[in-house]
Amino acid sequence: MAQNLTSRGRAVCSVLVLVVLVLFLTTNLVPVTEAIWLTIPTSGTKCVSEEIQNHVVVLADYYVVVDEAPQQYRTPTISVKVTSPYGNNLHHVENVTHGQFAFTTTESGSYLACFWLDGEHQEGVGATLNLDWRSGIAARDWDSVAKKQKVEGVELELIKLEGAVQAIHDNLNYLKDREAEMRQVSESTNSKVAWLSIMSLGVCIVVSALQLWHLKTYFRKKKLI
Amino acid sequence: MEVRSEKKMWMVLVMVTLSLVGKISSLSVTVNELECVYEYVLYEGDTVSGNFVVVDHDIFWSSDHPGIDFTVTSPAGNVVQTLKGVSGDKFDFKAPRSGMYKFCFHNPYSTPETVSFYIHVGHIPNEHDLAKDEHLDPVNVKIAELREALESVTAEQKYLKARDTRHRHTNESTQKRVIFYTLGEYLLLSIASGLQVIYIRQLFSKSVGYNRV
Repeated sequence: MAQNLTSRGRAVCSVLVLVVLVLFLTTNLVPVTEAIWLTIPTSGTKCVSEEIQNHVVVLADYYVVVDEAPQQYRTPTISVKVTSPYGNNLHHVENVTHGQFAFTTTESGSYLACFWLDGEHQEGVGATLNLDWRSGIAARDWDSVAKKQKVEGVELELIKLEGAVQAIHDNLNYLKDREAEMRQVSESTNSKVAWLSIMSLGVCIVVSALQLWHLKTYFRKKKLI
Repeated sequence: MEVRSEKKMWMVLVMVTLSLVGKISSLSVTVNELECVYEYVLYEGDTVSGNFVVVDHDIFWSSDHPGIDFTVTSPAGNVVQTLKGVSGDKFDFKAPRSGMYKFCFHNPYSTPETVSFYIHVGHIPNEHDLAKDEHLDPVNVKIAELREALESVTAEQKYLKARDTRHRHTNESTQKRVIFYTLGEYLLLSIASGLQVIYIRQLFSKSVGYNRV
């Protein structure tokens, strides 16, 4: 555990040094890598999903985080499978330690990315995966925009902010459409409840009338009444 | 071992240069009992904000499930924030130190729940950063503040979208229940009355005089 902490401390220092170096090399603002770490269990799969609308670019990078512990002689390998909401396979690789995938969504729904450890890993300890998943505005390539429009520095930052505002506007419209759809479903449920309850009274009356009529004819036939 | 740490640092450098103003999208994960997500905070004093919503649950009577517990643990091991028994909330704190923070969702019951979460680490350069780097203008501080403000609007939108998804699941389940349960009710009513008729016929199948004995 102490070994982990000191090695982590060393890693943090080196990362900070690298970040300051990058700051000097580029005229951009503080670059922040936002990727999450997930733990992959020894058996079973770890799945993450996101509900994405149509025509959205999704970009993802993943790699297995190497632990400094001496017990692990080799990096555990994982298998990855990404599926679209209708079941199409978008990315499927086995026995890798890192990789990336990118796609543009053609249907709106829940996109699922599943990770699992390969069979040969026997140590009984799960692996840690670093996943950087971006969709929509976060997946946009600002470098090529900067080159095409020949902007840099503050102007590029302002163009990025403009992109963010446009994305907010588009998301608001999307939320508004979804709310309208849900309102329609609610109103149809409301009318169905009224209609079906009144019909249940009708069904009750019809069934009891049928009962009475049938029993009357039956008893008349049997000459009991 | 040195080669491995070199490789890791190289990968981190590649990630840092590839993703300049990176944001994470709101991902959903299924919580069976305990699911933890780790996120790295680069600078001390960064604001870590986010939200989570329990989106999909197969509970029959909704009053059964008390919600899930959410805990944030700092790299030093102490709990920074905790929320118990909620079905979704926003959270926001200032990171006391840099390092790997652990965000855990704990499900006290055995039914799996799907949680949609979003975590954002925001950094605004302060005078210390300005003094260190000659390339940073004071205008960059204002731009960073603007970016963080827009980011909070985006985070709020993601929260609303997740809540809307949960509401939509409830609505669709209500509609399905209305149709299937009332049709089932009609069917059962007809079967019950059919059985009643059959029973009454059976009662009278022997002659009345026979029963008087």
